[in-house]
Amino acid sequence: MEPEGRIWRRLREDRAGLAGLAVVSLFLMLALAVWLGLIGQDWSIAAGGRWEPPSPQHWFGTNILGQDIFQRAVYSVRTAFEVGLVVAVLSTLLGALLGALAGWYSHGWPDGAILWLMGVLDSIPFYLFVAAVAYALQGQPWAMHVAMIATFWTGTSRLVRAEVMKLKTREFVMAARTIGLPDLLILGRHVLPNTVHILLVQASIAFVAAIKTEVILSFLGLGVQDGVSWGLMLAESTQEVLAGHFNNFLAASLMLFVLLMSFNLLADALQDAFDPTFDPKQAAQ
Amino acid sequence: MQYPLRKAFHGLLLVLGVTFISFVLMVWFGPDQTYTLLGKNATAEQIAEVRHELGYDQPFLRRYLDYVADLFTLRLGASNASGEQVSRILARTAPVSLALMLPGFVLGNLMGIALGLAAARRRGQWTDRLISGLSVTGMSISFLVIIIALQVLLSTPYGLNLFPVRGWQVTDLPSYLWHVTVPTLSLVLVTLGYNTRFYRAVFVEEASRDHIRTARAFGASPAVLMWKHVLKNSLVPIITRVMFSIPLVVISGSLLIESYFGIPGVGKVAFDAITSGDQPVLKAVVGLTAVAFVLIQIATDLLYRLVDPRVA
Repeated sequence: MEPEGRIWRRLREDRAGLAGLAVVSLFLMLALAVWLGLIGQDWSIAAGGRWEPPSPQHWFGTNILGQDIFQRAVYSVRTAFEVGLVVAVLSTLLGALLGALAGWYSHGWPDGAILWLMGVLDSIPFYLFVAAVAYALQGQPWAMHVAMIATFWTGTSRLVRAEVMKLKTREFVMAARTIGLPDLLILGRHVLPNTVHILLVQASIAFVAAIKTEVILSFLGLGVQDGVSWGLMLAESTQEVLAGHFNNFLAASLMLFVLLMSFNLLADALQDAFDPTFDPKQAAQ
Repeated sequence: MQYPLRKAFHGLLLVLGVTFISFVLMVWFGPDQTYTLLGKNATAEQIAEVRHELGYDQPFLRRYLDYVADLFTLRLGASNASGEQVSRILARTAPVSLALMLPGFVLGNLMGIALGLAAARRRGQWTDRLISGLSVTGMSISFLVIIIALQVLLSTPYGLNLFPVRGWQVTDLPSYLWHVTVPTLSLVLVTLGYNTRFYRAVFVEEASRDHIRTARAFGASPAVLMWKHVLKNSLVPIITRVMFSIPLVVISGSLLIESYFGIPGVGKVAFDAITSGDQPVLKAVVGLTAVAFVLIQIATDLLYRLVDPRVA
């Protein structure tokens, strides 16, 4: 693991990453404001006429039902963070846990079983898997989250497994073993904390993937069930754009793009900062 | 054990896994089909008969084995919605999906490899930065946004209005090209960012190896270095990437593209089955595509041996 000071210095020098971090923080504050009930609360009220142009009352105009597009786009920030955070945190934890077990007991039966499970989950086409989960859970609003968590952990798990297999042979782990610490304690106290750099990057990747997936699932009718999201707005807009009304489409797709782009830049910066072989001077040449 | 045999055994375990999961999700936990098949006012005998036909009176293991046996003998039953045999529906729609997705899938990978090579060759220069920046931008745009934007720009009076808005009336090559262009462009745009970034990383890694430095010291030209030494030695990750993106790109992509453009392929069939809860169709599509992908993985493992003699 890199000394923390160097990681922070590298992060501070990465201008694209910093810009990404600033925009993500801005979106997070928007999400919190929606949570606290400060903005975006009138997303479901049909306050205007159909397809009104932007005006002081309706900043981005109104949609086919006369609902305020600005309110809906802002409320969707909260939905995006809810989906992104829940899926990113839980899938990364699951991946860390199973990956660590597989790596620690590598070439034993727990490893074989976990590898098999990952192979199986990676073999089922994702959207069909979600459809199957939604079918089994019969319209539960959590079906989407469950399906994403159940599949997104495999990527993290493979990386953590490889890292734990490496760490297992290092001196500090040997020392912990020699003094008779139980396996689970060594794993939790000494091995897993050394995989944090993988987990942070993987969680940010999972966050982006979850938001992108929500859009597709909401369009397919398998996503957000109550509330509004950029995916639902885009699904609405598929009818509107053919009639020449683009406000709904533009509002949802631009906000979606800005958040995803910022998060991708942040994830890249994290990855570079944690990578001990990465030399910013050489990359800039 | 011999390599092919070991891989086949590994594949068999995967097949058992994917069929087990699709069985548990869709048949065991799935909604009771009895009243979907029966009309109103069914008698107790009719109900018992249908439940027996569906196997609801059988134990778990027996039903799972029956499901696997049906899947492998392609006895897939009839669609609840149309009454048509599922195997016939799939035989009718699979070629459409293949014709729809193949050009975009191939182009997306070829262009990704070309751009990745171009970026890796001028690593750190402005070409590389431009290509890498555009890749991240492409990765940040949703599939749905790309489809909607391309449809508006290319197929409606608000844009160029060159191609059909939706549908699939293909009879000859010109009509095929006319219908396939917008879906192909969507698929290329959606995959290009991820592909370029992946291939660039592979080529950068390979270009930093010792054998490349040696070849350069022996006076190999940059073009020969890239084509002969870097590209050829990167074949294993390239094959892995191509094969493993099949379920995500081809199958999930066809689900979205076909339901959006109203194209009668497997994806549209699956979409309709999802929205209407058509269990026989859904379980056949999920089960068969998962099994097909396991077969693809076995084929991939055997391909590795062809391109890399070190694999054992």
